[in-house]
Amino acid sequence: MHTHRLSRAALVLAALTAAASGFAQTPPPGRLLASNCFQCHGTNGKGPGFETLAGKSASKIFGELKEMQAGKEGNGIMTKHAFGYTDAQLQALAAWLSTQR
Amino acid sequence: MDRRTLLAAAASLAATSMAAFADDKTKTTPSTAVTVPSNAIKARVIVIGGGMGGATVAKYLRLWSNGTLGVTLIDRNPTYASCIMSSLVLTGQRTMASQYYNYDALRSKYGITTVFGDVVAVDPVAVKVRLADGTTLSADRIVMAPGIEFDEVPGLGTSDRMPHAWKAGPQTTLLAAQLAAMPAGGTAVLTIPQVPYRCPPGPYERACLIADWLKVKKPGSKLIVLDANPDFVTEKDNFSNAFFNLHRSVIEYHTNAAVTEVDPASMSLVTTVGTLRNMHVVNLIPRQKAGGLVAATQLNNATGGRFAGVDVLSYQSTVAGADRIHVIGDASATTQPKAGHIANQEAKVCADAIVRILSGGAPDPAPVTNSACYSTITMTQASWLTAVFQYDPAARAMASVPAAAGASAGWSSGNFKQMNTWFNALMADTYA
Repeated sequence: MHTHRLSRAALVLAALTAAASGFAQTPPPGRLLASNCFQCHGTNGKGPGFETLAGKSASKIFGELKEMQAGKEGNGIMTKHAFGYTDAQLQALAAWLSTQR
Repeated sequence: MDRRTLLAAAASLAATSMAAFADDKTKTTPSTAVTVPSNAIKARVIVIGGGMGGATVAKYLRLWSNGTLGVTLIDRNPTYASCIMSSLVLTGQRTMASQYYNYDALRSKYGITTVFGDVVAVDPVAVKVRLADGTTLSADRIVMAPGIEFDEVPGLGTSDRMPHAWKAGPQTTLLAAQLAAMPAGGTAVLTIPQVPYRCPPGPYERACLIADWLKVKKPGSKLIVLDANPDFVTEKDNFSNAFFNLHRSVIEYHTNAAVTEVDPASMSLVTTVGTLRNMHVVNLIPRQKAGGLVAATQLNNATGGRFAGVDVLSYQSTVAGADRIHVIGDASATTQPKAGHIANQEAKVCADAIVRILSGGAPDPAPVTNSACYSTITMTQASWLTAVFQYDPAARAMASVPAAAGASAGWSSGNFKQMNTWFNALMADTYA
């Protein structure tokens, strides 16, 4: 129990120190990439706009983008657009969007 | 920990508790609203210009710094008139009132401070801004998003008889009124300036839209399109098909046709391919350069002195000693088009880079941007155009991905509907 309390206090102190030193802003991976979606799908993928992306599973978002590249989703603007990103980039932006609630 | 750090820690602790309390409250009423917590300010950024680039960078600086960057947005006007969709005001399909956006959400949701005034000087070394009323503001960084300015056209003077309507607002209303007053069987002119100019497909889509409108409202009329460029600047398949087939009875298209002088009194234009006299309506879109503040600050080191050279990892000026000044949107010289949708994305790259730099880090080494838009081919049908840009470290420039660059095969009413969805989404990502 003592060890627990101690580590919790240490965590709080660490959090305070981080808050006090500059921004401590390390952008989460995938966020800047995912922001390419916001113009049409809303800030953080939450709309207004086309299909809401926030909170969808990463595998579903990535899977849909790969289907677009495979020509299985018609020949609309997103089919062309999906070719602009590497698989690693698509995975990173899908993972970030999946964390949005 | 010195006393000051301790106070800052106490302040951020208070802010954290308040944020936690707010979270508890929202739990009972589920909301996906995007807002910024009121944290202690650690550094300040001034944004000059509240258009598509400026409004977006202000919003995302607040959002992505978690409220720790203080942002002051300066613009001449308390409202922004959207250029996107403004050609539909010319045909009476949209009202000018529907084109206006304000900064209320940027203030209330994101905690941005707005100042409405005229910036007369920027000191790129001291990172200071002076306003016409004598006020001086200073910051850790300045983002300039002043948009474009027009070259003077010899003979035009201060006449309003040949509006550009290429910055939306009173000019749009003026051109709409002139078109409405035009007689059936009359002749209108639309001039396209030499590249680079704001919104590459814009003049062609406007020509198509006006041509379609003339057929219905002013039968027997002609639209002469004078293009200063040697060919269609973009989306050639769709625009040439529309000009030479669909709108053949209305549009007369001339390439390498640059305007050298005008006479508003006689509604005449002298061009490199001949002279036109007694035109009924002239939509004169002059050649463009960065907003005047860029040249006044001596940041106009690219495109023959017309635009600002920038490092596209951060949009920092490439002028020696001016690296705390960032220039985004139409005023910067990059390989990307000058247009609102991509200015929004450049703004996000810039905001992300500033947050990283002021936190002691470096910009993302592999930014991606995208361009997307719809063009009206008729009053009810549209085409689309898109591109994705990846950072090319060898060229230190954004490079268009060939497989992701292109336009729709033709046009449709479905695209016209999508255009409205796109526009509302883009404006919400920028102003709401």
